Amino acid sequence: MEKKFKIAMPVRYGINFALIVLGWVIFTVLFSTGALNDYWKGIVVNIGVNIILATSLNIACGYLGQLPLGHAGFMAVGAYTGAIYIKATPAYDLLRAGNTTAIIPYVIVAIILAALVSGIFGLLIGIPALRLKGDYLAIITLGFGEIIRIVITNIDSVLGFKFTYGASGLARIPKFSSFNLMYIMTVISLFLIHVFMKSRHGRAVLSIRDNEIAAESVGINTTFYKTTAFVFSAMLAGVAGCLYAGTLGSLYPATFKFMKSIEILVMVVLGGMGSMLGSVIAAIVLTGLPELLRSFSDYRMVLYSLALVLMMIFRPKGLMGTYDFSLNKSIENIVNKIRGKKAAKADKEVQE
Amino acid sequence: MSNVLKCEHLRVVFGGLAAVSDFNIEVEENQIAGLIGPNGAGKTTVFNLLTGVYTPTSGVVTLCDKDLAGMSTIQRSHAGIARTFQNIRLFKDMSVIDNVINSFNYRMKYTIPEAMLRLPRYWKEEKAARERALELLGVFNMQDLAEVNAGNLPYGAQRRLEIVRALATNPKLLLLDEPAAGMNPAETTALMETIGKIRDNFHIAILLIEHDMSLVMGICEQITVLNFGEVIAQGTPEQIQNNPVVIEAYLGKDRD
Repeated sequence: MEKKFKIAMPVRYGINFALIVLGWVIFTVLFSTGALNDYWKGIVVNIGVNIILATSLNIACGYLGQLPLGHAGFMAVGAYTGAIYIKATPAYDLLRAGNTTAIIPYVIVAIILAALVSGIFGLLIGIPALRLKGDYLAIITLGFGEIIRIVITNIDSVLGFKFTYGASGLARIPKFSSFNLMYIMTVISLFLIHVFMKSRHGRAVLSIRDNEIAAESVGINTTFYKTTAFVFSAMLAGVAGCLYAGTLGSLYPATFKFMKSIEILVMVVLGGMGSMLGSVIAAIVLTGLPELLRSFSDYRMVLYSLALVLMMIFRPKGLMGTYDFSLNKSIENIVNKIRGKKAAKADKEVQE
Repeated sequence: MSNVLKCEHLRVVFGGLAAVSDFNIEVEENQIAGLIGPNGAGKTTVFNLLTGVYTPTSGVVTLCDKDLAGMSTIQRSHAGIARTFQNIRLFKDMSVIDNVINSFNYRMKYTIPEAMLRLPRYWKEEKAARERALELLGVFNMQDLAEVNAGNLPYGAQRRLEIVRALATNPKLLLLDEPAAGMNPAETTALMETIGKIRDNFHIAILLIEHDMSLVMGICEQITVLNFGEVIAQGTPEQIQNNPVVIEAYLGKDRD
């Protein structure tokens, strides 16, 4: 048998990088020509937040196979951490003066802080919660998510220092989440998830989902990997939260209610648990669809539910199931098929 | 030759029931030992004691003269005990080769940041692991199935993959829990060859539970018979076949 066609590693990265740049160019052109107005620009940025949220929950839900229902809690931690930090910097005035480059270091620090603090919360919650499974884990994470929200509502001032401003909300946050930042952060998040999953660590996480007892029997440290995946998921949710704070300019604890967690979970389930592409598509559809259906606003929620019900009837495993798309693999498959046909043809001619 | 596995006076009690009482066995390198007994005799319980799923009430388990007391399943796997399961427990949604590479996890050393930044050690270890996995699959004629999802394999291949996955942890002792369950006679014969091949190629000790007597009598050099948690006989296949106590346990006693 002849050697199968395979795209070399550097070329693969090159192709993917070119596609990412191409995507960015397309969006920038659409925005600058006015094909997509500012309203849609806002929605695209929102889609970015939801993509990060859905793919991060997909780590704990699709890859690790647990059912955490407190994702909005981690998002809240990230949002408030980023917002409180960036409010303490001169970023607001800089942004008002139109100095967008000067705020970059503050934004980077805010995002890193948001990831770290949510990661710490993820660790604190994950260690006890991951001792449970299934429904019990769902309920305990739900509880933790609510605790985070209620604590945020009630620590409006700590020792006389204004902290979260409680239920009245944290206002005057610089709106630092531009389209470019959103695009870069979404790509980085997806890249990090991809490289994590395509390594021995990612394989270990998947093996725990498929069969925990067997994973232990081949020496996988299940506790370590469950906690790691959970913390990783929480960190990215924190990043999404921080970016969310930057799109809105104000934060209210009521945003991070239980329904927010469910909303993210619906994206993951609709896209297919364990498929990153599925989560991305579902995040785009479920953020864009309500906007498209705005003209039927009376029936909006009905259509939304109907879409979900139909989905569960016809594709119970989600849009993509556990399938993950790889452009390079697809190219390889097509080339191999063509070559195989050519070879078969040549064989036939020889026989004739 | 030294003993790979040695159990002394192993006993476990669940409530008032002694599931295993006073279990003793010695398995040497390159030796295939069989564990047989009627249903509910405590055979799988013995495996669960060896792999650390249950903690023994009393008794000592040593692997190559190392006491395993207090070690978890994961630590015992690292120490060199590998097992297969009575009901197949593969990683169904992973490819065959990933099932095998996953067993190398403990011996691969690159960290999470190294994986995320794709540093040289990642590439080196991943490449080596892939080659080693293909080599292992090749020993069992499964290299062509490498990219297939494990859940889509035919039954016999799934059983074989479980054995390959266990071997990939580089064990000193391999525990096979009813490897021939659900197989037809031709598949069982092929399995006997496979087990013989493992002993010849990997130089490890094998302990297997099996109900198929043709397999047990055919390849085991040493057989232990359990009944109600107690060892009722131990010896070579010939000795076991002619042992009246064993015949009684399996077939019952004559009325008069």
